[in-house]
Amino acid sequence: MHTEATPAQADVSEFDLIKRCQAGETAAFDELVTRYRTRIFGMIYNMVHNEQDAWDLAQDSFVKAWKSIGRFQGKSSFYTWMYRIVMNVTIDWLRKKQVKGGGTEFDDAVQLKEVDPASKTLPRAEAMPHEHMEHGEIRARIDKAISQLSPEHRAVVLMKETEDMQYHEIAESLGCSIGTVMSRLFYARKKLQNLLRDVYENV
Amino acid sequence: MFMKTFEEKWTAWVDDQLTGRELAEFEASLPDQAAALAEKNSARQLGTFLKEQLAAVPMGNADFFSHQLSERIVRDERAAAPARSDSPSWWTIPRLFWTGATSLAIFVVCAVMVINIRPTADHSQYLTQILNARVDPTLSPNATVSIFESKEDKVTVLWVDGLKSLPSEFASK
Repeated sequence: MHTEATPAQADVSEFDLIKRCQAGETAAFDELVTRYRTRIFGMIYNMVHNEQDAWDLAQDSFVKAWKSIGRFQGKSSFYTWMYRIVMNVTIDWLRKKQVKGGGTEFDDAVQLKEVDPASKTLPRAEAMPHEHMEHGEIRARIDKAISQLSPEHRAVVLMKETEDMQYHEIAESLGCSIGTVMSRLFYARKKLQNLLRDVYENV
Repeated sequence: MFMKTFEEKWTAWVDDQLTGRELAEFEASLPDQAAALAEKNSARQLGTFLKEQLAAVPMGNADFFSHQLSERIVRDERAAAPARSDSPSWWTIPRLFWTGATSLAIFVVCAVMVINIRPTADHSQYLTQILNARVDPTLSPNATVSIFESKEDKVTVLWVDGLKSLPSEFASK
């Protein structure tokens, strides 16, 4: 797990920090924020593709975490619990944005159901050689492909591929079953394979 | 791991989560194993690619992020504080109700106890009171004279004890 914790910070256990937060100590919460802010911000940024929005959503998520940390019982890891808040905030925001924007960015029903479960992904006709692509272009291609997924599919594929989270951790974070996570992962991967194969096979 | 759908099994297969009989059965069910393996490798390549490209998203002004967050939390808590002080600390409506009911119950119990206090059986039914006691200390030094009156029965009793002689003015006529 990547965090910003320094060796000195790591000496203070997460459990202690959480207990101090529950006693109302804002300094302890500040330390938790320092440990997880970059990772949380990165996750949100990968979902919304806008730095300012990611910043605001990360702020909202941490504020909600502070307000509800009294109810954290330690049944799951703090990070999984935090991710649940982050996902609720971000998915809710993306859904509202979709409603305001007329739902043109992504549509689960139309786009993901088009993928045949048994289909093979094929290279795009207009393959773009890697040597002609700069990092910014690659990033733009990835962002565009991810933006065609529903918020839930984005969340699942990003948590699995970039965070190395287990199926049950993803399920806990999203409040759904492991089967749903695996199914969403299947469709999200197929979609991204179709959209990005020419890029990742040439990198 | 118990899986039902093809999608679930495929995902588990790509992530090397299928083992034993489940793995053998799934691979046997694939119509074109070579194509399926190519797909699996492609999916894993995608995963590696996404991890490389997306993992490190830099966060500019991270300390300012924490500062802004702390300010917001303090501001939110200050805004919530007046609302808390306006509310009664102990005298909530349910507590007021129960306090009133308890006080009333205690009053009723006390009133019933006071009403039910009766004289005990060993007391005289006359509820007497000594109205007068007159003796001559020279003639009858040990004599006592008591007059009892029962208002209930409208009776007055003269009780004389230790008299050597009855004074003439008390003689019955």
